[in-house]
Amino acid sequence: MVRNMTASTTVASHKEIHFKIKRQDGPNSQPYWEEFKMPYAPQHNVISALLYLREHPVNTKGQRVAPVAWESNCMEEVCGACSMLVNGVPRQACAALVDDLAQPIVLEPLTKFPIIRDLAVDRQKMFDALIRVKAWVPLDGSQDVHEPAPRISPADQALRYAFSRCMTCGCCMEACPQYHDRSDFIGPAPLGQVALHNSHPTGGFFKSDRLHALMDPGGIAGCGNAQNCFKVCPKDIPLTHAIGALGRQTTVQWLRDLLIK
Amino acid sequence: MTDTTPGLLDRYQFQLRRLHSLSGIVPIGFFLLFHLLTNSTAFLGAERYDTHVQQIHDLPWLPVIELLFIFLPIAFHGILGVTIAWQGKLNVRQYPYMDNWRYTLQRITAWITLAFVAIHLLHFRFAYWFGEPEYASAAPRFFDFTRQGFLHLWLPAWLWIWIYVVGVAAAAFHFSNGIVTFCITWGIAVGFEARKKLSLVAGALCIVLMLWGFVSLHALTTMTRTAPGAAEVARGNEQRISTPYMARHEAPSAARE
Ligand code: HEM
Ligand code: SF4
Ligand code: SF4
Ligand code: FES
Repeated sequence: MVRNMTASTTVASHKEIHFKIKRQDGPNSQPYWEEFKMPYAPQHNVISALLYLREHPVNTKGQRVAPVAWESNCMEEVCGACSMLVNGVPRQACAALVDDLAQPIVLEPLTKFPIIRDLAVDRQKMFDALIRVKAWVPLDGSQDVHEPAPRISPADQALRYAFSRCMTCGCCMEACPQYHDRSDFIGPAPLGQVALHNSHPTGGFFKSDRLHALMDPGGIAGCGNAQNCFKVCPKDIPLTHAIGALGRQTTVQWLRDLLIK
Repeated sequence: MTDTTPGLLDRYQFQLRRLHSLSGIVPIGFFLLFHLLTNSTAFLGAERYDTHVQQIHDLPWLPVIELLFIFLPIAFHGILGVTIAWQGKLNVRQYPYMDNWRYTLQRITAWITLAFVAIHLLHFRFAYWFGEPEYASAAPRFFDFTRQGFLHLWLPAWLWIWIYVVGVAAAAFHFSNGIVTFCITWGIAVGFEARKKLSLVAGALCIVLMLWGFVSLHALTTMTRTAPGAAEVARGNEQRISTPYMARHEAPSAARE
C-alpha cells in the first residue's frame, strides 16, 4: 500500500482520500502545509484516516515525513479531545465522516489555543476557567445531607441535561469573536457550566461565588452576543440561553451587592 | 487572567459594560427617538417645526440638559464603544450566521454613527466654530435655517443627503439591534423564543426608524414654508424668509430651487 501512495495521485478522486494539513513541529515553530493522499475506503472518519496516515506517513511529494500528531480518545464525540478545523469548521474529527466531506479535506488546528504539535492543541485555559468559576457541586448527596433528594421538574432536568453534555471541546471558544489572545474574556463554555451548576439544588451553594467570578474582569461582560458559540456547539448546548440567564443573575447579584451588602 | 494591576477600565469592566449598555437606551436611545420626533414635525410644515424647535430652545437650563443627557452620555458610550469594538475579532466570513452578521453590523454601524454624530454636530450645532451663524440665532425661523444648511452650506446638497441617509440608517440599526443585545445583557430576554420575538420587533422598529428619519430629511430638504404658489417658487421663495445664515451667504439663486 505504501508503494502505491505516490502512484495513486493520478487515480480518480473517489479512489483516494486527499488531505491538506496545516502542520507545526512545535509550540513555537512556523506552521506549514503538507498534503497526503491515501487509498479510498468507505466509512472512514478523519481520525481513522489519520491513523492510516500514521502508518504510512508519506506526503504527496513521495517524502516519508514525521507522522501527523493529533489528540483523540473516545472516537464517539463525547470526550472533545479531537476538535480541529475540518474544512474550516470547528468540530470533532472523529465524527467528521470522510464520505460527507469535500476534498481535499483541509485540517487545521484550533486557532484559539496554544499549539502543542500539528493538530494537537492545549485546552488547559478551558479547564482553568472551570476552576475559576467553581464548576462543580460542593455537596452531591452521596453523604448524608439530612434531606430527601431534591425534586426537579422534567423541564429543569431537560435543560440541565443539555448543559451537562459539554465536553470542553473548545469549538464554541474557537467561533467566538470575543475570545482570542488580545481579550481576557473567559469564553462561552464555562458560562454554560455556571448556568448548569447555579441551577443545581446543592450546586447553587456556590452561586454567588460563581457570579462574582463572572463579574470580575474577563467575565461575562466580555460577551458581545454574536451567538456563534451556540451555532457551532456539536452538543447543541443552549449557550445563548445560559448567557441570557447569567445576564439576569449577575444583574440581580449586582443590585444585591449595591443595596443589601 | 489574574492580572495583578488591572487598570480602572479592567477592574470595573462589568460595571462599565453595564453602564455602556444602559446608556445606549437611557438617555441616548430616548434622545434619538425624541430627536427624530422633533425633526419629523418638518413634515407637518415649517411652522410646526419652528414651534417645536423653539420649545426646545426655551427649555430652562438647556446647556446643562444638553451636557448631562446628551453630550456626556454619547461621549461615554462612544469612547467605551470604540474600545469594545476594538476587542472583537470579526469572523463573519468564516461563520456567516445571521446573529454573527448582526454582531458585525452592530460594530460597523457604531463606527458609522460615530462619524455621523461628529459630522452632524459640526454641521448644525457647532458650525459657528467655522464662522457660520449659530443655530439659535435663526429663531424663529429654524426650518429655513436647517434647509439652508442642507442646500447651501459647505457641501453639495446631494452629498449632505447621502451622508444623512447613511447616518440615519446606521443609527437606526445600531439602536434597534442594541435593544436586543441590551435585553440579553441585562437578562430581560433569556430564552430562544423571547429572543426571536424581540428580534422581529427590533427589525420592524429599525425599518420604522429609518423611514421616519428619511421622511424628516425629505421634508427638511424639499418642503418650503406654507405651500407656495408656482409663481412664488419661480420668484425664489427664500426672499421672504431671510435668516442670519442667509445674510452671510447671499440669497441663493432661484434657479437652484
Ligand atoms: C445614536 C447614537 C447611539 C445609540 C442610540 C446607541 C445605542 C446602543 C445600544 C442600545 C447598544 C446596546 C447595548 C448592549 O449591547 O447591551 C449599543 C451597543 C454598542 N454601541 Fe452604541 N449607540 C450609539 C452610538 C454609538 C457610538 C458612536 C459608538 C462608538 C463607536 C457605539 C458603540 C457601540 C458598541 C461597540 C456596542 C456593542 C456593545 C456590546 O456588544 O456589548 N455606539 N449602542
Ligand atoms: S459548549 Fe459545546 S462547543 Fe463549547 S466546549 Fe462544550 S461541547 Fe464544546
Ligand atoms: S454569544 Fe457570541 S460573543 Fe458571546 S460567548 Fe457566544 S460567540 Fe462569544
Ligand atoms: S475522540 Fe473524543 S470526541 Fe473525538
